[in-house]
Amino acid sequence: MTVSDAGQPVLAAPESRRPIGLLLVAVPVLLVIWLIIWPIISAIIQTLWMRLPEGGDTFSLETYRFFFSDGYSLSNLSLTLWTTGVCAILLLVVCLPIALYLRFSDSRIAAYVQGLAIFPMFVPSIILSFAFIRVLGPNGTVDLLLNAMSLPKIRSPYLTPWGPVIGLVWDNIPLTVLILLSGLGNVSNQAIEAARDVGAGRFALLWHIILPRISNSVLVAISFAVLGIFSAFTLPYVLGPAAPEMMGPFMQRTFRELYEPRTAITQAVITFGFCIVFGLFYVRSVAKNRTP
Amino acid sequence: MSVLKIKDVSKIFASGQVRAVDNFSLEVADGELVCLLGPSGSGKSTLLRMVGGFERPTSGVMTIDGEDITHVPPEKRPTGMVFQSHALWTHMNVFKNLAFGLKLRKVAPDEIKRRVDAVLDLVGLNGYGTRHVAKLSGGQQQRVALARSLVLEPKILLLDEPFASLDQHLRERLREEVRDIQQRLKITTLFVTHGQDEALSMADRIVVMRDGRTEQIDRPEVIYREPQTPFVAGFIGTMNLIEGNVANGMFSKAGYSTPLPVSDGPAILAIRPEALDLAVTGEGSQGKVHRVTDYGTHGLVDLELNDATRIKAMVPHPDLFKAGQTVTLTPKAIAAYRDGVVIHRA
Repeated sequence: MTVSDAGQPVLAAPESRRPIGLLLVAVPVLLVIWLIIWPIISAIIQTLWMRLPEGGDTFSLETYRFFFSDGYSLSNLSLTLWTTGVCAILLLVVCLPIALYLRFSDSRIAAYVQGLAIFPMFVPSIILSFAFIRVLGPNGTVDLLLNAMSLPKIRSPYLTPWGPVIGLVWDNIPLTVLILLSGLGNVSNQAIEAARDVGAGRFALLWHIILPRISNSVLVAISFAVLGIFSAFTLPYVLGPAAPEMMGPFMQRTFRELYEPRTAITQAVITFGFCIVFGLFYVRSVAKNRTP
Repeated sequence: MSVLKIKDVSKIFASGQVRAVDNFSLEVADGELVCLLGPSGSGKSTLLRMVGGFERPTSGVMTIDGEDITHVPPEKRPTGMVFQSHALWTHMNVFKNLAFGLKLRKVAPDEIKRRVDAVLDLVGLNGYGTRHVAKLSGGQQQRVALARSLVLEPKILLLDEPFASLDQHLRERLREEVRDIQQRLKITTLFVTHGQDEALSMADRIVVMRDGRTEQIDRPEVIYREPQTPFVAGFIGTMNLIEGNVANGMFSKAGYSTPLPVSDGPAILAIRPEALDLAVTGEGSQGKVHRVTDYGTHGLVDLELNDATRIKAMVPHPDLFKAGQTVTLTPKAIAAYRDGVVIHRA
């Protein structure tokens, strides 16, 4: 214990600091309960209790039954799952090589590559959407260039399921690269050199040494990407097909255009149900890292 | 039979400003343990990394048993390296750390188990195969790192300051063990250290390096007793280096003088503390006692010459001396240097 000149302890004992720590954490915890936990519970209750015409409430799974028996709702859910899965795979395929290059390259170009990889973070989704339309949309830059070279037009991904995929992947590159890069920071140069020393080539190095060491980071990066993509709205709304549609635009249309708040809330609860699985992956990974 | 030959190897880093290793040549005989010793920045680790394949030489040739390995990548070299930070793979247990290299070589599982068990036995870690490496002590981790290299039966073992992160007691014990294992296996070894104790106690030969160049290559006792340059004299052990002038066969410096049969001119006189006799009274050159330290087995007397130059003398009875006393200095063995080379030894 450090003692001041006056003989008083400079740092309070851990026991006396504990209430202050709890007090500091209490405000954000209460805010999370008020703004996140309670709306979730409230939404679930609203979807499970139906108001009867003659008055009073009754427990009902009607909205869930409808969702899981309605072909359109299911195709929207499967499009969302497909988009999320494809985006997650593409993000890994695109971001892992970038992160590996940034981690192990000594070249000056790496700094520019990092800047380029992080750039989408500063571009709002709506700007990205319009840039996408101007470049890959009908009569966009690519079409004009192909036309100038007397080549046939491409089949534009705009308003197809691939439109949101391209946009969402581009939008999620920065966060994924940063998380993977932070994980790769834990792989020491000497661990790599030791593996090369015992005979590991590039693939063995990646498979046996690097990937197992960054598996938590991969899980966290994918969880974050999946959580964002599953409930994305702007990019699927602007770039995606009218039908089927992803859950974000589907919920918005059900709520605003069809005036069916209970159905929209049910869609939100189902979306939340899928997202929480990845949320639990993330929490598990964080807890695993913090276990002494 | 594994002989390592390094011929005229240089390493200039990309900027072109730093010549880390400068025209270095060395031949390490079969089963020999050679220590690369030098201060930080002397190029010893860069040289070792070039032998391991982790740095490419700018010029020169390296061969193992006559085979040119200069541009062979590390994964294809017949060398095994033990790193300063152990560099164990923390997501694997001890067995998997050791078996990894054998699996890459597609060795049969039974043979892998036999070889891993044998090498664990060799480093005194029998039964530790299933232990997680992160839960081992520093000394045990270093043994695993050594075992990981040995299990592949490399032609040349490279040790890069392997004991630097260990405490003094453990370091002393491990260096004896490593030397025993090296001698038992008769494995050609190149060992980098900046600890002279380590080099003197383990090496068959020591290479003292400075600014990427060789200062002296010799057996430990020769390096200690007959250093060829003032740098080696000052770097190995404790040495009093007194810069003065020789006139008419007498070296003198700030009131201290001693016969030195060399031509007139500047010279550096080198005297080991244990080769300097002190007497409180009597004829001879004089110095003043500044501090006396009693180490139990012997004492160390710090002396000041008239111009405040500090020198040390080792004495068997430190209680005979006190701070402030004037004493006579009588060297039993001296060496003298001029222009960086030895000009007299007696």
